[in-house]
Amino acid sequence: MKGKVTTIKIVGPAGLGIKTSGLLLSHILLEQGYSVHDYSEYPSLIRGGHNTYQLSFSSTEVKAPFYQVNLLFSLAKNHFQPHLAEMKSKSLIFSDEQNPKVKYLPLEKLAKKAGNPVFKNTICLGVAVFLLDLNYSKSQKTLKNFFPKKVKENLKAFQLGYEYASKNYSSLKLKIDRLKNKKGLTFNDGNEAFGWGFLKGRGDFYAAYPMTPSTGTLHFLAAKAKEYKINVRHAEDEIGVANMAAGAAFAGARSAVGTSGGGFALMSECISFCGITEIGMVFYLVQRVGPATGMPTWTAQGDLLFYVFSGHGEFPKIVLAPGDQEESFEFGWKALNLAENLQTPIIVISDKFLGESSKTTPDFNQEKPTINRGKLLDKKIFKGFARYETKYACGRSYRTIPGVKGGEFLANSYEHDKQGFSTEDPQKATQMMEKRMRKLKTALRITPKPQLYGPKNYQRLIISWGSTKGPILEAMKLAGDQKLAFLQIRTLWPLHSEVKKLINQAKKIIIIENNQTSQLTTLLKAQFDFKPTKKILKFNGRPFFPEELYEQFK
Amino acid sequence: MSNLSKYQTGKIPTWCSGCGNFLLISGLQKCFADQNIDTENIVAVYDIGCAGNMADFIHAYGLHTLHGRVVPVAMGVKLYNPKLTVLCIGGDGGIYGEGLNHLITAARANIDLKVFVSNNFLYSLTTGQTSPTTPYQAKTKSTPQGSPLIPLRAIELIKKVNPKVFAKTATNQKPKELFAKIKQAMEFKGFALLDIETECVAFGKQLKQ
Ligand SMILES: Cc1ncc(C[n+]2csc(CCOP(=O)(O)OP(=O)(O)O)c2C)c(N)n1
Ligand code: SF4
Ligand SMILES: [Mg+2]
Repeated sequence: MKGKVTTIKIVGPAGLGIKTSGLLLSHILLEQGYSVHDYSEYPSLIRGGHNTYQLSFSSTEVKAPFYQVNLLFSLAKNHFQPHLAEMKSKSLIFSDEQNPKVKYLPLEKLAKKAGNPVFKNTICLGVAVFLLDLNYSKSQKTLKNFFPKKVKENLKAFQLGYEYASKNYSSLKLKIDRLKNKKGLTFNDGNEAFGWGFLKGRGDFYAAYPMTPSTGTLHFLAAKAKEYKINVRHAEDEIGVANMAAGAAFAGARSAVGTSGGGFALMSECISFCGITEIGMVFYLVQRVGPATGMPTWTAQGDLLFYVFSGHGEFPKIVLAPGDQEESFEFGWKALNLAENLQTPIIVISDKFLGESSKTTPDFNQEKPTINRGKLLDKKIFKGFARYETKYACGRSYRTIPGVKGGEFLANSYEHDKQGFSTEDPQKATQMMEKRMRKLKTALRITPKPQLYGPKNYQRLIISWGSTKGPILEAMKLAGDQKLAFLQIRTLWPLHSEVKKLINQAKKIIIIENNQTSQLTTLLKAQFDFKPTKKILKFNGRPFFPEELYEQFK
Repeated sequence: MSNLSKYQTGKIPTWCSGCGNFLLISGLQKCFADQNIDTENIVAVYDIGCAGNMADFIHAYGLHTLHGRVVPVAMGVKLYNPKLTVLCIGGDGGIYGEGLNHLITAARANIDLKVFVSNNFLYSLTTGQTSPTTPYQAKTKSTPQGSPLIPLRAIELIKKVNPKVFAKTATNQKPKELFAKIKQAMEFKGFALLDIETECVAFGKQLKQ
């Protein structure tokens, strides 16, 4: 059947290579033409605990991981137990134990035969490739590329798993739809996708301080820094990170920082500094569960209002929320353009679910986005140049960078006049505040508009933002309701007027968010009369799954 | 042509008459002129405080940053464009207090920044509270019973952090020596910290009680 989704899950204690083998299986599927979306859960520990990696794949695009699992591999005894609710009647569990609920798979014995107990994960891959009836030699090839070290041992383990399955599980093969090879697809998580957006958008200064779940972008860009000749800096703390990136942006960089809620708390002073000095830079914020240290490796959308209203004083700020990996890429480069164009801080919100889940995407390395540097005078000035000229209706004034003769100016954290000198003159202060704030109106013309999915003559309208997009779209597919549409708000600040218009056309409104208080409701209520019919909220660190949303749409 | 006036904005300084910051600004401007550095290639980064208020008086590219944040901002400028002459100007409160971690990091990196600390042993812009360099037991507005902390010896600290950097003390009492040290700091290849001991004429008297 076309479009049928199959879900495979590998579980066990940390340190057994669960994510590695899961990713490898995803790549095997990807290279045989399937669309894959993965999701992994892990505690904030290095060893022990309970880790999971799951992937959903299909011959057509999969936009979210599914809850219900077809094949589950448990790498250690009893680790399948927490997942029994995810099993359907025909689902299979494989584990090295005698239990009526599981298919016995002698992992310990086979791994020993392969030469090392660490190969349990690769043995499971062999079993999976057999059960899914995938191409054996192509799968081997993917494996070879994936494990440049220990190839031989891994191939051996893979073969042992495959052979064991063909002897013992030949009646258990799954029916999946076959397809021809698609080309030009890659597998990226949201953090890598944002990193690609940064690189392709000619970002050239990235600073960060490690904080889950944003660290993926730091690792990705640090590994690419030499090739792309860019600055990637792990600074002393998040205060240093933000201020350093602001200094670089002042000097002419296309500059960004990455962190999560706690790190951004330390940066919120600096975002205000960028606001008044009109230094354009990007804050990539990957949410996790708060408050405080919260649950570091789990997902949430609990920082929306904090981000939108961050920083002391009033200044224009743009807040974008990509809904998937493709938009994480797109908003990555667009945010750099917006930062230079609007000369103000741009926030891009992600979360653990989007940032650390991978999906089949186009090859971002082939993309060539347009670069917009705004009103930049990087060679010479014109007569009468004043950095903070207030006469422009769009609020944007021309900007020079150090090295440009005659363009000297002061970027001043105090309120200032057109040249940047401090002033407390009431008239000048009013003019300067109004100049900056006019940029918000300009932003409405150039920021990503809200996106409507589904029928135009909808009766029920789902409203959401960020990473819930994929699960919502998959749930709508399951529901097949001709009167149900979904409005994805992609720019959360400033809000486009279309949002209100589209909401007013709906008879019933369902709001969906990964937080406890429905922060989007609060935000919309502040703008216009807004009353959702139903709120679907989840705040236990887990993303929404298509099946559970579908149940709620009934 | 190298003259002093091209480094001046023409604004009249807002410091008390007799304030040590006058000497620091003329030392810096003289050094720029002597070395004939083009104004467009200087980025001066200022802290918040009386010393940082120099921002309005030097003609060059400038950033009047947040309190304590001169050093990371300057690092960002220098990392992105190493050709620029980048200096930091601030007080003992901002650079040794609010921003000490940044100072230590810059010294560890031995990045080519010139940091000038106008050390008046007080928070002066906020009208005279205790600072990281205030003598132990000295009475200030925020410590009327005497400062409970032993003072930070920043130069010793930074020398320990990285012996390769330039870290020296100067005093306003000896202008000639001060000017020479400003020049040394500016010419040093790498990170330079010059601590300039000075007396705040408005609030310094409390320290002598
Ligand atoms: C985050 C923050 N905290 C406090 C202040 C208030 N403040 C302004 S200047 C200053 C201290 C200045 O002392 P110092 O750095 O020694 O400079 P001085 O005025 O003595 O030259 C303080 C605390 C501020 N501007 N920002
Ligand atoms: S208060 Fe002190 S430091 Fe500030 S200008 Fe006056 S003398 Fe200088
Ligand atoms: Mg001081």
